[in-house]
Amino acid sequence: MKRRITELHPFTVLCLALFTVAVATAANVWWLSCAVIVLCMAIGAVAGKARKLAALSGAIMLPTLLSLLMIHGLASRDSSPVIAAWGPLNLNFGGVEIATALALRTGVLVVVGLLCGLLIDKHQLVAAIDLSPAPPQAGYLLASTLFLLPQMMEKQHAIGEAQALRKAGTGRGLAGWLQRLRLRAVPLVLSSVQDAHDRSVHLAARGFPARGEHSRLRQVADSRIQRGVRWVALVCSVLVPAAILVPFGGAA
Amino acid sequence: MMNMEHRAPVESTSALDLSLASFRYEDSESDILHGIELELPPGSLTVIAGASGSGKSTLGGVLAGMLPRQGTDLCEGTLIQAGQRIDYSPEHSPRIDIAGWARHVGLLPQDAGLYLSRIRQTVAEELVFSLENEGMPREEMSALINELSARLFLGHLLERDPSRLSGGQERLVAMAALSAAKPSIIVLDEPLAGLDSMATSAVTAMITRLRAGGTALVVLARTTEAWEAEADALWNLEDGTLRPAAETARITSLHARPKESSVVAASAKPLLAFAGVQLGYKGASAPVLSNLDLEVHEGECVGLVGANGTGKTTLLKAAAGLLKPVAGKMRVAAGSGLLLQNPADQLFERTVAREVAFGIPKKSIQRASVPMVLEQLGLESYAQTHPYELQASARRLVALATVLVREPRLLLLDEPTEALDSAGLRILHEVIDSVLERGGAVLFSSHDERFTARTAHKVHELRNSGRAHEDLDGASPADAAVAGAFRTMGKLKSPKQPEAGIGHLASIVPILTSETGPAVPPTCPRSLQ
Repeated sequence: MKRRITELHPFTVLCLALFTVAVATAANVWWLSCAVIVLCMAIGAVAGKARKLAALSGAIMLPTLLSLLMIHGLASRDSSPVIAAWGPLNLNFGGVEIATALALRTGVLVVVGLLCGLLIDKHQLVAAIDLSPAPPQAGYLLASTLFLLPQMMEKQHAIGEAQALRKAGTGRGLAGWLQRLRLRAVPLVLSSVQDAHDRSVHLAARGFPARGEHSRLRQVADSRIQRGVRWVALVCSVLVPAAILVPFGGAA
Repeated sequence: MMNMEHRAPVESTSALDLSLASFRYEDSESDILHGIELELPPGSLTVIAGASGSGKSTLGGVLAGMLPRQGTDLCEGTLIQAGQRIDYSPEHSPRIDIAGWARHVGLLPQDAGLYLSRIRQTVAEELVFSLENEGMPREEMSALINELSARLFLGHLLERDPSRLSGGQERLVAMAALSAAKPSIIVLDEPLAGLDSMATSAVTAMITRLRAGGTALVVLARTTEAWEAEADALWNLEDGTLRPAAETARITSLHARPKESSVVAASAKPLLAFAGVQLGYKGASAPVLSNLDLEVHEGECVGLVGANGTGKTTLLKAAAGLLKPVAGKMRVAAGSGLLLQNPADQLFERTVAREVAFGIPKKSIQRASVPMVLEQLGLESYAQTHPYELQASARRLVALATVLVREPRLLLLDEPTEALDSAGLRILHEVIDSVLERGGAVLFSSHDERFTARTAHKVHELRNSGRAHEDLDGASPADAAVAGAFRTMGKLKSPKQPEAGIGHLASIVPILTSETGPAVPPTCPRSLQ
């Protein structure tokens, strides 16, 4: 099961994610949002990514929920019953309801997006784009974006090691972290710019990005069923929200 | 590919003819290259030697169509390749399509890692990156990968992440990727730097094969020494122009014997000791090194040799305190300083003087010694220069200066001879001697056999037993003979076979017997070796 999930074509995962987010957002029903989040967690667990998914989702959603509560819960002016009051501030049912509904919709977007990020191999995604009829520049842009961060992380690690050898940036705690940030930032940017400059000429010499027909050694597994699923998901991503949101037959 | 008015069909039997009257960078005051006539017949091997900063890489850039940069550099001359003539003049430099030109002339830069795209997950994908961009069918790419891996013993690397390769492995993979594109001319900038003996054999065997297939090769190197038997033409690049290399004059100074130094006393204290140490990285499935036993004493210079990727750098990093042992005991009894393999990792200030003083407290005595260290390494005239503007050899010395300014008693050097020219090598020898004379110790890793033989009191070999066997699969008889010799050497020197895939310190006795005569006990002075 795990293998089946991780071997899905990246476009299939993206299309299903788009459909799920579109429908859940349009429906705006708490139980559907909850069901989607639980389902995502279950898929994450099967794929062995549950912990990471929960941690990342929590890191994003907790501050989001708190800020929504502050905006809508504390500042709500409707006349619904008050849950708690602190001087001029009070928390009422109406505000909590709005904050929760918004948080659930955001939660669906966050959890589904993170699950996609964890399930899709970035190399497979770039290969899938390269092998698709999309212009070669699309794969180039995505590759540049996706691989820049890991490369910069490696570089800052190397700079950190070199600085540690010279007893610089070895402090602990928040002060040490800020000192490391200050010491590494400039060399990191400068060396990244230098590296990009030096590497670009060789990338160009190797024909990258391809201008015409190109191929990939990497195979991205696909099937007729997956292609069908993708089309259905894409069409439904438009039709289902439209059916929910657009009033038909004079209904309000 | 280029402006039509500047190209014309030409009949020539050479794969490439270069007639370069002059070349000057935008910001330089004099010509970097001038009066160069170069003819590269198909299947030829042309070796161009020169010190760091002599203009070798610039010449390589001109041949590869990367220089002159349109509208900035000044160039006058003619380049004839594949029947096409390109005229450069001060008034007009034709714009060359680098990708199109690279199909005929491929360049492997001195820093081979720059040739790798870093956007492919495996070495196999990296090898055919150019061919993917040309649209080669997958089956043909797979066949080519199989052929390359058999020929260059790359089988064990094919599924590895290119960004996790050692320096030597990186060079080998980059060269294989370059040859996969099958250009008619290949320019190699220091192709053997950082390669182990097996990889060196594989690369030289590949060069022979490429020549047999009609590819013209240009090797840019520090010296012509390693190439004299094979080369069709040997040149020295001096004062910006090519002069025939006289074999008798070869590198008299390059490997000049450093002055004899301290005697390693039997009672000398160990400054570094590993006992049953296991080293590895977080998240890695297996340790890089295991069962490591090693001692480095006062006044002792110890060399580490071994194939690329066997853990030499890992060992040095552990000795420098960058890596904690997973198991076993490690003791460092003196302040250590590590020169990293890639100087770019070690330089981050805007002037050489600031770079050397980086991290040293302002009122410290060490800060006052910065000018002295720069003078010792011949860098005083570069004190206010940006490290990135220096030639490779000088940049390496700046990185060494950043280590020496802290006066480490235990000097750790990772491939110290890489990128150093003859003057730099002489300085390196002097530095090692001075550390030993003041009771310090030196531990270095190197693929430079001559340097190792002349510098180290003891040499330890790190081995990875899985490699030779794996690489022999599918090799030609000639290749198998080369690899077989490597394997036999390993068997003779290793009393027990280590686990596959894990580096071990195979020998605790000197292993330089084949080159320098009888094995010398660790306590013997270097002058007697």
